[in-house]
Amino acid sequence: MAKSQKTSVGRRGFLRNAAAGAAGAAALVTTPGLVEAQAPRNATGAAPAAPTVPAPTEAQVARETGNVRPPAAVRTITRPGSDLMVQTIRELGIEYVAANPGSSFEGLQESFINYGNPPNKMPEFITALHEESAVTMAHGYAKAEGKPMLALLHGTIGIQHGAMSVYQAYYDRVPVLMIAGNDPDFIAAHTAHDMAGMVRSYTKWDSEPKTIDEALVAIQRAYNEAITPPMGPTLVVLGSEIQKDNAPNAKVPAYKPPVFVTIDATRAREIAKGLLDAQNPRIAVGRLRTPEGVKRAVELAELVGASTSTAATGGPMSYPQRHPLCGPGADATYDYTLGLETAGAQASITGPALAKTAATRDTVNIGFGGTVPGAGGRGGAGRGGKGGAAPAPPNEADAEASLPLIIEEVKRQMTGDQKTRIQARIAKHASANHEARVTAITAAVESKRAGWNGTPISTARIYAELWPLIMNEDWCLSSPSNFSGGHHAQLWDHNKPYSYLGGQGAGGMGYGAPASVGAALAAKARNRIVINVQTDGDLNYSPGVLWTAVHHKLPMLTVMHNNRAWHQEYMFIEYMAGVRGRGDDRAHIGSTLRDPYLDYVKMAAGYGMAGEGPITDPAKLSAALKRGVAAAKRGEPYLIDVITQPR
Amino acid sequence: MKKSHLVLALAFFQTLHGQGRGGGAPAANVPPPTSPVTGNAAAGKALYSTYGCYACHGFNGETGRAFVGRWGNLATEQGFVTFLRGRANVAPLAPSTSMPSFAESALSDKQAKDIYAYIRTFKSSAPELKDIPTLNSIVDAAKQDKK
Repeated sequence: MAKSQKTSVGRRGFLRNAAAGAAGAAALVTTPGLVEAQAPRNATGAAPAAPTVPAPTEAQVARETGNVRPPAAVRTITRPGSDLMVQTIRELGIEYVAANPGSSFEGLQESFINYGNPPNKMPEFITALHEESAVTMAHGYAKAEGKPMLALLHGTIGIQHGAMSVYQAYYDRVPVLMIAGNDPDFIAAHTAHDMAGMVRSYTKWDSEPKTIDEALVAIQRAYNEAITPPMGPTLVVLGSEIQKDNAPNAKVPAYKPPVFVTIDATRAREIAKGLLDAQNPRIAVGRLRTPEGVKRAVELAELVGASTSTAATGGPMSYPQRHPLCGPGADATYDYTLGLETAGAQASITGPALAKTAATRDTVNIGFGGTVPGAGGRGGAGRGGKGGAAPAPPNEADAEASLPLIIEEVKRQMTGDQKTRIQARIAKHASANHEARVTAITAAVESKRAGWNGTPISTARIYAELWPLIMNEDWCLSSPSNFSGGHHAQLWDHNKPYSYLGGQGAGGMGYGAPASVGAALAAKARNRIVINVQTDGDLNYSPGVLWTAVHHKLPMLTVMHNNRAWHQEYMFIEYMAGVRGRGDDRAHIGSTLRDPYLDYVKMAAGYGMAGEGPITDPAKLSAALKRGVAAAKRGEPYLIDVITQPR
Repeated sequence: MKKSHLVLALAFFQTLHGQGRGGGAPAANVPPPTSPVTGNAAAGKALYSTYGCYACHGFNGETGRAFVGRWGNLATEQGFVTFLRGRANVAPLAPSTSMPSFAESALSDKQAKDIYAYIRTFKSSAPELKDIPTLNSIVDAAKQDKK
């Protein structure tokens, strides 16, 4: 899947000429180790005697201690290549670039913050405290908005810091655009012959252009590759020289959007006919690419009067849960089912009675699935690969891009009689779905009573108390809920493409907070608030991202699901000890966060974030959440530490 | 394992583990059993924590794999002890959060009975639905929000 466009890195003249004393000297500092590593071996395989390590020169010492004087011969740069790179990124509509600073992209960073009018807009530079956070911010942003933001990575070390997040984004089919700086003349350990090689097996596409012109094309290509199904992270490695070199004659190439594979016209006609001829059509909606796809799915369902199923309680970009056509409908014996990016149209079959209809009905599914085999469906496979095993769909095309073709065909084929029949069906579905929803909610709230007044606080109560406070707001639940009961799925209405952003992708920890910050970046300019129900173990991977939220005034409420453990692992160890007959009294070793307990309010305060807690009295929860929602609405991120039941 | 133990274990497993994620079972109001208790509840409280019972069943037996209000095979002390001994003792290849087995070498009969005495003190903290404004407001909103 991943294709490398690596080309050799060559142009190093500028740095050597312009800053010979500094850069050259610094390179020498690290040269001995490199020479040793690459020293040829003799015929017997034995390494030759270690080379003599030269003492640092005066210039090297000056560089290392920060006492470098400007070089005497200064080359004037009137139009740096990095300005053009930023212009290219700007024209792609990239809103944000997240990075932890690094010298290998200093040229690019200087352009981001100073180039253009106004500077530091489209994209705005977001300060990250770790590359893993920067990439996961982009992951969360893309799941909320359906388009990429940019993450910068500093050389080999930045790529490796970000690698886990790249892996998650790849597994989650999320478009993330990344640029890695490469400065082969500075610190040898920070460069490599094949920079992208470290993450290539889970990066959709990468390139290492050698000229400014090639770099601009590569950035556009990386963007297109990222957003084209199956979506995924892409990486462009940019040498420090082409960022800094003068580019008086270069210009941003005309952008050509990607071509999305669609079903052909014949298939569109067949599907339209199937939907119109059916007495009770069904549309099963999985995860589409962008909010535009969700709009098209709604348009089609309304046109043909199909009841729909949604994956919105499991992840983003699916059908609005409270739309009148969303639900089982007035009659659950569907005679034609269209699947849109689902694991299979069978996804709508939920019980033995309905299963009987599966053998006779039409099932058409449009979609690619993911870049990772078996990772399709709702948010990717979790532990053990369950939940995402998707058979190859019959129509390997992009559902979102195919929807306009089907819609046009429906409009062309629809008769007056059909239109009348469809309107009547819509009314029946709307009534039935409303009743089904009220029934489901009534059953759900009954189940959430359990432990309502117990201490520690039940996770169900957290979600239940949150909902009345946000139901009339534009909100996004950014954090995975798989460890905190998933109560929102039963209690909340998921009506926006970004209502719930789903799981981690590859099930890796350290995702919730930075993904929430990414979602909050998307929310900031859109009068939206982000809710992050944050598991404690997960936060400790990248707590520095709390500072990023404060620094950039993001509308994010973090509610700690603080069970003082990596609780899933604790239960695993308990079972393991049990089957070995050794008892569970030592299962806490290595799987709990106690002695001492962590103080997350103090942690947040250290990063400048307001908050309160720990809260153990359930009677005090609602008022705290109210304060938190109000703060988030003001653009003041807030953390509430809630001591919870384990699950 | 005796067949009777297996049946008992399966039934109990279904009681504790058949509720889906997140304590999703409706709150029940079945009162605690009245069968005799011989253990020491105070000692059982420490054991409930030390042996991680709370991990799956919550600190009050009401969340996660809840048992308060659904006592089932927890009806008698002996049934509880038998169940603890009767769990499968074959390690699965995949990690599991199923109910662990408690061999007598790891948890004595006395300790098991102490734990039983402690969990028999558990009572539901769930108010009647009519007395929870938050949950009622959620239902009301769903009823009104007919689009």
